[in-house]
Amino acid sequence: MSVDVSGVDRETLVRPIQTFSKRYLAALAVGLGLIGVWLAFYLQQLQHGLIVTNLSDWGSGGGVPWGLYIGAFIWWVGIAHGGIILSAAVRLLGMDTYQPVARLAELLTIAALTCAGLFILIHVGRPDRLVTSVVPAWPTRVQWSPLMWDVTVITAYFVLTATYLALTIRYDIHRLRDRLPNLLDPLYDVLMIGYSEKEDEVVERMVWWIAFAIIIMAPLLLHGGVIPWLFALLPSMAGWAGGVQGPSFLSIALTSAVSGIIIVAAAFRTAYGWEELIPDAVFRGLSQWLGFFSLIFLWLQLQQVITGIFAAPTTLQHATEVKIATPLYWVAIGLVALAMLYAFAASLRPELFSIRTMVALSVGVLAGTLAEKVLFVVEGLQHAHFALYDGVPGAYVPSPTELSALLGTIGIVVLFFLVVSKVIPVVELHAIEDDHEEVSP
Amino acid sequence: MSTDESPPPGDDEERYRRLLDETEHDTELGLEMGRDAQRVSAGELSELEFYRRYHDRIVEEFDIDDREIDLPDPDEAEPDDVGFLDRIGSALEGIDPDGEESRRSVMKKGAAAAGAMAVGTWGSAQTAAGQDDGHGGGAGADEGDGTRWGMTINLNNCDGCLACMVACNQEHNLSRGANWMYVFAFEDEGQGDETNFLPRTCQHCTDSPCTKVCPVGARHTRSEDGLVLTDYDICIGCRYCEVSCPYGVNYFQWGEPDVPESEVDDAHQIDDRGRWVGSRPPEGVMGKCTFCVDRQDGQMGEEKIGTTACEEACAMDAIHFGDLNDSESPPNQHLREYREGQENDLSEFPNRKAHTASTFKLMEERGTEPNVRFVGNEPSPHAEQVEGPVAYEDMGLTDDRKEVLDEGASATQGGESA
Repeated sequence: MSVDVSGVDRETLVRPIQTFSKRYLAALAVGLGLIGVWLAFYLQQLQHGLIVTNLSDWGSGGGVPWGLYIGAFIWWVGIAHGGIILSAAVRLLGMDTYQPVARLAELLTIAALTCAGLFILIHVGRPDRLVTSVVPAWPTRVQWSPLMWDVTVITAYFVLTATYLALTIRYDIHRLRDRLPNLLDPLYDVLMIGYSEKEDEVVERMVWWIAFAIIIMAPLLLHGGVIPWLFALLPSMAGWAGGVQGPSFLSIALTSAVSGIIIVAAAFRTAYGWEELIPDAVFRGLSQWLGFFSLIFLWLQLQQVITGIFAAPTTLQHATEVKIATPLYWVAIGLVALAMLYAFAASLRPELFSIRTMVALSVGVLAGTLAEKVLFVVEGLQHAHFALYDGVPGAYVPSPTELSALLGTIGIVVLFFLVVSKVIPVVELHAIEDDHEEVSP
Repeated sequence: MSTDESPPPGDDEERYRRLLDETEHDTELGLEMGRDAQRVSAGELSELEFYRRYHDRIVEEFDIDDREIDLPDPDEAEPDDVGFLDRIGSALEGIDPDGEESRRSVMKKGAAAAGAMAVGTWGSAQTAAGQDDGHGGGAGADEGDGTRWGMTINLNNCDGCLACMVACNQEHNLSRGANWMYVFAFEDEGQGDETNFLPRTCQHCTDSPCTKVCPVGARHTRSEDGLVLTDYDICIGCRYCEVSCPYGVNYFQWGEPDVPESEVDDAHQIDDRGRWVGSRPPEGVMGKCTFCVDRQDGQMGEEKIGTTACEEACAMDAIHFGDLNDSESPPNQHLREYREGQENDLSEFPNRKAHTASTFKLMEERGTEPNVRFVGNEPSPHAEQVEGPVAYEDMGLTDDRKEVLDEGASATQGGESA
């Protein structure tokens, strides 16, 4: 299934840069408002310490030391996967259908990784030491601490994605410069340092290799690797150990990522009348991918539940029984299952498909994956192998401070897209102009 | 694996030269001191001579010379020595006595100096005969190199009086609910209404998950004696150690500590390497049982070395602390005597084990190699915590720390602490 959007003109492409609407201002206000709410709460945390959260010590302390902050960290890293994997797939596997949303997806990666990093910052007790303690320790700790593996892989992933983006936008900026705002000339000058049309061919090869690196690294090392290994390698918690966590985390990442792209793409399509630029076929394709990834997600959940309740070791059995007795877990599963069923139904009966419904279901999937990951962290900590502590069962409900951080990061993503879409074209020029222009002599 | 900073002593001078070159300090000084330190441990050079020989250059290099040495009585010392003491005095005067941080940083500098003197540092010269390999010695063996602090806790003697918890909380200035020592009362399957007790400290594991996962090396094993400690100056408060520990012994400092910094003496906080590892942690940093590191370093007097606050408070003779590598230490001695008191009948079945005493290490199957051994019955997976004969509240203790933290969480303005 390929889509031809090559008839769309350059004016349409730069529409977000050249227009300014009340709706834009309203979205800006919402984004800034969310960030403001979070900052107000976060100042309290800086002032009083992590005591303003509802976190506590596990063990005799009757609580959980990791909660929403870590759950949301995992969630954002998961969302970040989609972007660049999708973009890399376009480049490496020739899935041109998705070219119109490739850059939106890359931008989502950058924004989501930023939010993930922010959650680490606000999760730790001494954020002021993140540089002074982590950097000197890196050479001796990286071969030991899974948390250090995490920091390393995420940083590498961020650098690769940013490089990929920086290299590919030069082509577009060069050709669209006359339609870009003069006010930002200094910025474009920086972005275009040393540019000549001769580089296009070289850059094309470079980004192919970067895409190749990313598509190997993201699934195998990030959500299929270092993020699940944060938990799966520990001797302490019954619900965490085991090789299934890698595939399971990856399935959550991919479902979240595709949902994120669907939402962002639909928002731009609606806001800028981009029905031609991002046609229905893109969303139909994405929804099929979402259906497929959701199926994998549900299948891996089934694996865990069955192995946890049939004739499992005592502590694992207990942890699994608690998990399946938690209503929120079934809400999460239900939300993902609903999206899967709709996606498959719309594949069989195309007239059932509507972008609006798909967006709503994508929001549901994101809520579901967030809930599942927070439950995984929290319930894991509540049911340790050391079962004597069950005498002080921990209850955990995120505090307003913690919830505000979730809103704040969503606000950051909104703000990011609003600002970036005013500066660079968020759809690649390649999407509307089939091949590279002949390099002029 | 250990994360301690000093490489083991050896004779590969080139390797040490490279190590020393990487530091900002004087390579030649380090190498010379290393050679002489080995002479000290071999008895070819006196400690005093060693001190004299390098004092001026150390002060020049590091501003301070805090090598530990039993200096001769000033009255008996030669005039030269008095000069030494005076110079040390004036060096110390340069430090603001009220500035805790500055004192700490100077002590850390001293530790950096020790690190720079990688070749057989002064410290290892003093203990060269039995330097631990940083792994706390062989886990299974009771005999090994160096010191390996550990405990034998006899559950049959424990009556659940909670005196150990109180003593620990007081000595380490812990915030409410941060029970570095925690005593479980529990009932188990097949034991009717009988209440058992399990005092739980940090197990100071030889293969500790918490030191492995720490991203910054704040949680580390002290190579000289196997203590698992947290460097409060480095810890970023990610709580990964707490999450990885199978025993739930970590207590994070979520808010302001109940006992302010001004009321805690440096002697209890800074260990013999100059690292801030003792007493309660500051806000935003992880804490747990230290096996009373200040006592082991002699900060509370020679007579307290080899003791802990909980052991001292235990009137039931349940807790026995000491060097597990020393067969005559209290934990080994107690275990031996206990076993000897329960000899097995080998007359018909010579292959039986020699005694019938039940001993265990907590969740040994997790592969952590704990350095706390228990005499008595291990709680089964079906054991349940019950109220003991003495309530935590009656002893002024807080059981469920979350209650305290929730108060703090709901307070919008300062003043709340936990």
